[in-house]
Amino acid sequence: MSIDRRFEKLILPHLDAAYNLARWLSRDAHDAEDVVQDACVRALKYLGSLHGDDARAWFLTIVRHAFYDWLGRNRPAEIVQDDGAALELAVDHAGATPEQAALRSDQTRALAEAMTALPLQYREVLVLRELEDLSYKEIARVADIPIGTVMSRLARARALLQRSPSLHAVAGNVSGSER
Amino acid sequence: MNCHEASAMIAAYADGEVDGLRGHTIRRHLHLCRDCATKHRDLVDLRARIRAEVPRFKAPAALRERILASVESTRPAVKAMPARVDRWRWVSAGALAGCAATVVAWVVATAVLDWRTNEDLAVEAVTTHVRATLGNHRVDVASSDQHTVKPWLSARLDYSPPVRDFASEGFALVGGRIDYLDHHPVATLVYRYRDHMIDVFVRPPPTHALPAPLRTVRGFNVVHAVGSGMDWLAVSDLNAAELSRFVDKLKE
Repeated sequence: MSIDRRFEKLILPHLDAAYNLARWLSRDAHDAEDVVQDACVRALKYLGSLHGDDARAWFLTIVRHAFYDWLGRNRPAEIVQDDGAALELAVDHAGATPEQAALRSDQTRALAEAMTALPLQYREVLVLRELEDLSYKEIARVADIPIGTVMSRLARARALLQRSPSLHAVAGNVSGSER
Repeated sequence: MNCHEASAMIAAYADGEVDGLRGHTIRRHLHLCRDCATKHRDLVDLRARIRAEVPRFKAPAALRERILASVESTRPAVKAMPARVDRWRWVSAGALAGCAATVVAWVVATAVLDWRTNEDLAVEAVTTHVRATLGNHRVDVASSDQHTVKPWLSARLDYSPPVRDFASEGFALVGGRIDYLDHHPVATLVYRYRDHMIDVFVRPPPTHALPAPLRTVRGFNVVHAVGSGMDWLAVSDLNAAELSRFVDKLKE
């Protein structure tokens, strides 16, 4: 099968997944399109190295790489080291901004906004798990981290969501027992 | 099972990642323990809320079309051009020149792109080599036995790299590790030649780049070759002639 036929058969079905991931990572519709387009160019280029059948995880890995490269070029300050304390600070800080407070009134968007405010490392595992339905193993592959790290980041991401001030309905009975 | 043990597994259980006996044990604990049951229910609720309230974005139609168009355009670019020149002989000399210019531009652009790819790859390979040396993390599996190194690597990759020891010729196998090169996990074979460490990155040949056989990056020699169905990229401070000789042996 020619490369372009393979691309249409293996990669294109996962375009929504690619765009969703890029959109959640970049938090911008236009930037997400740039990232996905770059990822498609790369996927086309490396398609020869796609063996086996897990095209979705393979493609999402490329999307993630394309995003981080894009991030390095455009918003290098956002690439934060995976330092628990620094990240916690980042979240508490984000939760306190006026924009966040204003959004609290809009109940239907509260959860989405809280997720948008999560630090990158947590946002990506949560999106892969909850929106793309990837298994721990697949997330480990896409995000290039051990399964143990997938689990701890997921736990952290969820705890941060449950504690988020914009999410009282969920946070209520959990915040006390979570530490 | 106590609460401490259960709490480590509640999330995995809520994610459907625990089954069999362990799943049964957790279920029993959740029946008996109120705190853990609450934690579990909160997680399940959160997951349900995310699914219900958080949007999964769909790729815009325009993006899909743009991507399809760019894929289509890669198809006729190579083949159709000469055929068209042949068939439409009556086309004016001006148009022919235009076509030729397009082909030339395409060839040049492709060559430049490939050159860039190779340059980036060489730099990335050298960076990886230096990081491994500095970090003193030369090997994930330390063994001079090819029958130990090869299965270790195969178990962690979607291909099985050929692994051979050349100790009798001075190139002793030290071990192997997994690196990340060119956006893919790659098998790295580590050899020692006298005082020189050699990293050999082995992967299935990518479709794009034409190997630039030899370059020097920050004083390190990088030798690139294709053979035995694999793409071989060797990095070392060993002199270029010896390194090339070694790569020739590897790819046989």
